[in-house]
Amino acid sequence: MAEKSVVCRGICKSYKSFFGAEAKVLKEISLEVEAGEIFGILGPNGSGKTTLISIFSTLIYPERGSLHVLGLDASRRRDEIRKLINISTAKPNFPWSLSVKENLRHYGMLYGMHGSMLSKAVSDLIDTFELGEYTDMNFENLSTGLKQRLSLAKAMLNRPKLLFLDEPTTGLDPDISMKTRSLIRRIHDEQEISVIMSTHYMPEAEMLCDRVAFLRKGEVVALDTPQNLKNHLGLGERVVVFYEGPVDLKGLEMVQGVMSVAAEPGRVEMVIDRTRENLDRIIKLFSGAKILDISVKEPDLEDVFIELAR
Amino acid sequence: MSWRGESNRYLASAYKNWIISKRNVFTLFELFFWPMISLLSIGLLTRFLNVGPGMVSFLLVGAIALTILQVAQIDVAYVLLFDMWSKSIKNTFIAPIRSYHLVFGALIFGIARGALVFAILASVSRYLFGFDFRAGGLLPVLIFLAGVFAVAAVIGIIVCISILTFGQKADVAAWSLSGLILLVSGIYYPVEVLPPALQMLSRAIPLTYFLEYYRSVFIPGPHNLAVGAALAAMYLVVGLILFDRAIERARRTGILLRLSE
Ligand SMILES: Nc1ncnc2c1ncn2[C@@H]1O[C@H](COP(=O)(O)OP(=O)(O)OP(=O)(O)O)[C@@H](O)[C@H]1O
Ligand SMILES: [Mg+2]
Repeated sequence: MAEKSVVCRGICKSYKSFFGAEAKVLKEISLEVEAGEIFGILGPNGSGKTTLISIFSTLIYPERGSLHVLGLDASRRRDEIRKLINISTAKPNFPWSLSVKENLRHYGMLYGMHGSMLSKAVSDLIDTFELGEYTDMNFENLSTGLKQRLSLAKAMLNRPKLLFLDEPTTGLDPDISMKTRSLIRRIHDEQEISVIMSTHYMPEAEMLCDRVAFLRKGEVVALDTPQNLKNHLGLGERVVVFYEGPVDLKGLEMVQGVMSVAAEPGRVEMVIDRTRENLDRIIKLFSGAKILDISVKEPDLEDVFIELAR
Repeated sequence: MSWRGESNRYLASAYKNWIISKRNVFTLFELFFWPMISLLSIGLLTRFLNVGPGMVSFLLVGAIALTILQVAQIDVAYVLLFDMWSKSIKNTFIAPIRSYHLVFGALIFGIARGALVFAILASVSRYLFGFDFRAGGLLPVLIFLAGVFAVAAVIGIIVCISILTFGQKADVAAWSLSGLILLVSGIYYPVEVLPPALQMLSRAIPLTYFLEYYRSVFIPGPHNLAVGAALAAMYLVVGLILFDRAIERARRTGILLRLSE
């Protein structure tokens, strides 16, 4: 049984400003991340995602609470932890005048890689992350998408068991974001790496994450699988029907599973729990009318997010 | 970890500094222009003052020492400064490294650059001003250079510590340190001409001893190399410990994240 990626209890963090004022950024965070999971940390701007990821990766230290990373006590065995993890930060930055290849070599050396092992790792990563055309381009000349890819490649140099990704697709265009997501999925699946990532892009979490924690003002307000979160919050599917003719709108509200009904002439929008089981009874109420169009939209994490951020 | 792996963790910083300075035109100024300016101006001053060969050596040793001290010291400081300017500090400190990897790695490159500058300055001053830097054999030269590089490392460490403690702007304060050393450790005059309080200070700076030692090759006089070496070693060790502490504190306060924003 592999060790849990992260176990933390009562993590608190506040930043002191120059004038001594203190801002509590994380309040008593306790959670466990299973081995092999892709774990998402979601939350609005300033909710503490980067701070939490930085603490988990031992980049900075909490002022209270206990933390174990890959089964190792983070207050004592940081050097061992650092060998086993890596991070791709939000808005990644590397020494500007080093090329893609030189940057990878440099960080590889920091991890104690050498000789042909280092050269091979660098060229393999350049292949995996499709950086071949840009090996000799200086970091400062790379596009945002390429910088992000270099950052992911760098994070894989030491073959980490646990990978931290802070907003891996923020600032990328939709196409590149999609590619980056499948790349993350691929390294996770192929190399059996646990991943802890932050994002404020819901579809990304839904697509990649086994479980997600929602942060709000430094507190975990929800933690579950994306599916359970949607169910749990009673976020039903949104069914919109366009019709002509008489419909028993009052009757609609009485049907089991219908959570809300909003009607205007010729159009009714309902939020329905377990649509598949209840749709039949609903449609019956439209028997005196002609249905022109019907659409069903599943709730996504965006809805969860809006619900939780309230 | 194998010895090659471990040595690469030091060499990583030398490699980074090397590539960056290779691509930086300003390097030419650091290595040739400013060193030449300072050597020539002091050399010409000795001509104007019409001093004897012993005094010429005395002054040129000072000018050369100050120049290579600055070259090597900036290399050590660059190990963090480059990271700060390019906002890549997080990527360095996520790796399992300690202060000594960074400092000694950067120092290797600083020594290479310093040695190159020394070779140029020594040759030029021999040709133009008749200063024979090898008058006492090669050993005194090496000991002298080792002393200068050790002091450079200490100053570089102090710059790094100030950055981690006070943030970006702090490097300015630390640069002034080499100015203080210029004044106090007897670059252009024997420290005996200083007021007593400053003389005490000069006795706390290892460079003073290394200058006196190397100069005694040209003008016989008292020197105490052992004290200089002991002081330099002590400062280095203490400096590295404080550097590691500064890193840990920056992690506790979170300034480490701020430095990469
Ligand atoms: N090094 C620091 N020093 C002082 N305050 C900080 C520091 N880093 C973050 N903060 C503050 O702490 C709070 C949480 O920041 P954090 O970066 O963890 O949030 P986030 O969820 O990652 O936000 P975003 O979505 O904008 O990336 C913010 O109010 C931020 O201003
Ligand atoms: Mg963030």
